[in-house]
Amino acid sequence: MTRELDAGALELGGGLEVLLAASIDPMQPGARLLVRTPSRATAYELHGWARRAGHRAVAERLPDGGPYELEIERGAHRGVLADPLPARASGPKPADGRMRTSELRWQAEVPASTPASCGFAPLGSIPELGAPRFDWTLNDRDRIWADDVAELVDQAGAAQWDAASAVPWDAALELPEFMERAVSQVMTFIAQNEYAALYVPARFLPGVNPAFPEMVMWLSRHVHDEARHIEVFTKRSLIGGQASYSLASTELSLHSLLEEHDFSGCALLLNVLGEGTFLDLLQFVDQHAPDAATRAAAALAHRDEVRHVHFGISHVRRRIALDPAERAALVAVAERRASKLTQMSGLSPLLVEGLTIMAAGSLQPAELSHGADAVKGLMKTMETNRLKRLAAAGFDPQTAQYLSDLHTPNLM
Amino acid sequence: MSRRGAELRIGAVSYHPRVVTIWEKFIEHFEHSAVPIDYILYSNYPRLVSAVLDGDVEIGWNTNTAFVELEQQLGEQAPILGMRDIDAEYATVIITRRGEGFEQAGQLSGRRLALGSRDSGHAAILPLYYLRQQGFDAETGCELIRFDTDIGKHGDTGDSELRVVRAIALGEADAGAIGEPTLAAFRGERLAELADIEVSWRSPTYYHCNFTALPTLDRELTQRWSEALLAMSYDDPQMRPAMTLEGVKQWLPGDRSGYEALADAMRQTLP
Ligand SMILES: [Fe+2]
Ligand SMILES: [Fe+2]
Repeated sequence: MTRELDAGALELGGGLEVLLAASIDPMQPGARLLVRTPSRATAYELHGWARRAGHRAVAERLPDGGPYELEIERGAHRGVLADPLPARASGPKPADGRMRTSELRWQAEVPASTPASCGFAPLGSIPELGAPRFDWTLNDRDRIWADDVAELVDQAGAAQWDAASAVPWDAALELPEFMERAVSQVMTFIAQNEYAALYVPARFLPGVNPAFPEMVMWLSRHVHDEARHIEVFTKRSLIGGQASYSLASTELSLHSLLEEHDFSGCALLLNVLGEGTFLDLLQFVDQHAPDAATRAAAALAHRDEVRHVHFGISHVRRRIALDPAERAALVAVAERRASKLTQMSGLSPLLVEGLTIMAAGSLQPAELSHGADAVKGLMKTMETNRLKRLAAAGFDPQTAQYLSDLHTPNLM
Repeated sequence: MSRRGAELRIGAVSYHPRVVTIWEKFIEHFEHSAVPIDYILYSNYPRLVSAVLDGDVEIGWNTNTAFVELEQQLGEQAPILGMRDIDAEYATVIITRRGEGFEQAGQLSGRRLALGSRDSGHAAILPLYYLRQQGFDAETGCELIRFDTDIGKHGDTGDSELRVVRAIALGEADAGAIGEPTLAAFRGERLAELADIEVSWRSPTYYHCNFTALPTLDRELTQRWSEALLAMSYDDPQMRPAMTLEGVKQWLPGDRSGYEALADAMRQTLP
């Protein structure tokens, strides 16, 4: 069977090669394409094109004055080393004008595992043979998954904000020195912890098998959120011109967090326990901030942290439900970390001082006493909520209490 | 299998660093095919031809010019063990600026004709030969502009043909002879100088490179090696990149019928 193609005024190098490939590539090996052109030069040049593309010119007609014809037989090789593309079918559907990330799986469930060697093949694509082998480390769904990760990705995408403009920065400029010193210390402490909150998910990101795009997107957005938190709290600590300390005890705590390399272990230590406890801290700062800039920074970061904590609880709960032995493994993770923090005793006095002054609003004894009560209340709230989160993550009350007691005095 | 223990040594010319990439990959193929080879690279074809004749290598990966020279020096026929699909239908084209083409070879008379390296079958020797066959002696009828670069490599580098294209684009020549596959490759690379250049003339087809041995080489061994060569598949993801570099999609069995024109031309023109 011979198909015919009228090249019209098209030339090689001017688009004819695209038309030729689109015509001949889908044909069966050995099938023929008759190309007709008004240009003798093009007819001559088609020979070389055909050979280079792996086909053969089998017949030629060059009548005086044209039109000229060249018959090309399709070669046997495959253009792309893969099976032919399947016939066009229906794709994922948007709803209410939105294309949700969960729709990526409109056709098939998330696979339980996927080869560590696979490449950056976007979902639904057909990988060509001959690609180099990768060696991803996170290839099992259940080791990393959360059932609502796709929804969290969409929420995170919709909730981005700009730290340069979303905070009323001018409001931070007029604080008295004692208060600026307190706020700056608290902001520095938070920013210090935000670094760890970024580095932990960032380290997992390049190990995630590309066959789990939801996870790639989730971790990326988590990392991006934390970058913004580093930004907003660093800016707030600097804007008043008051330097503060990045404390060694905080470094010790965060250092031990980075020594944990298990994904679920990090979900427990960072997302559930660390960021969970930070939710209460950020709420406290929001409530007691002496200026609108500090308040906005805490409130905006809090919104993001809710998602991170949600992911952690969702992941740990799923992991434990699938494999009850994981519960003991996670307890061991917490014990291992606590054993590295035995030299720590309670929250740093400098931070307690800063929070107390923020809650007091002045250095008046009566108000300071009120501030100290508020910080005590915060510690209590942190513990109560930690227990609730641990319960939600699938731990019984006794284990939850044990894990909460093991949690770092540094809060994260 | 150590390379020193290889049953056959293949000689090739290093016209580009990619030749090493190609042969390191081809070695793997022949090792899997149980006809282990090693390769030895030479910087030019005259030296490769001597190496085959002296038995320094058992097989030479020759241009058509090198093959004809080898047989002339040998004084008898040398077995051809295989060639690329592209070698079986090689042609030379003469290109001109758009709208300045010609219908008959004689219309080149008085024009400046650019040629590639003097020792290139496709970019110098054969175009002159075929024009002569069509009744036009370009050596006297044209002002020849020769780009004799990379002499000894028989045009493999493509450098002289690139200069031919540029000379025409710049108006320094009116027509020029280059290999048809070279033109297709330049077009594929979107070479800017080709934008207003078209093909005015296409030669008859001829054979280009081949694997050549001496008649004394063990027939059973050459047979096995040829079979292994022909079994190399472009659909094998391991081999595709090297085959692409070598410009082959399918290896073909050796055949002697496509070298007469060149042999004739070389008898007429070479000292
Ligand atoms: Fe954060
Ligand atoms: Fe976070």
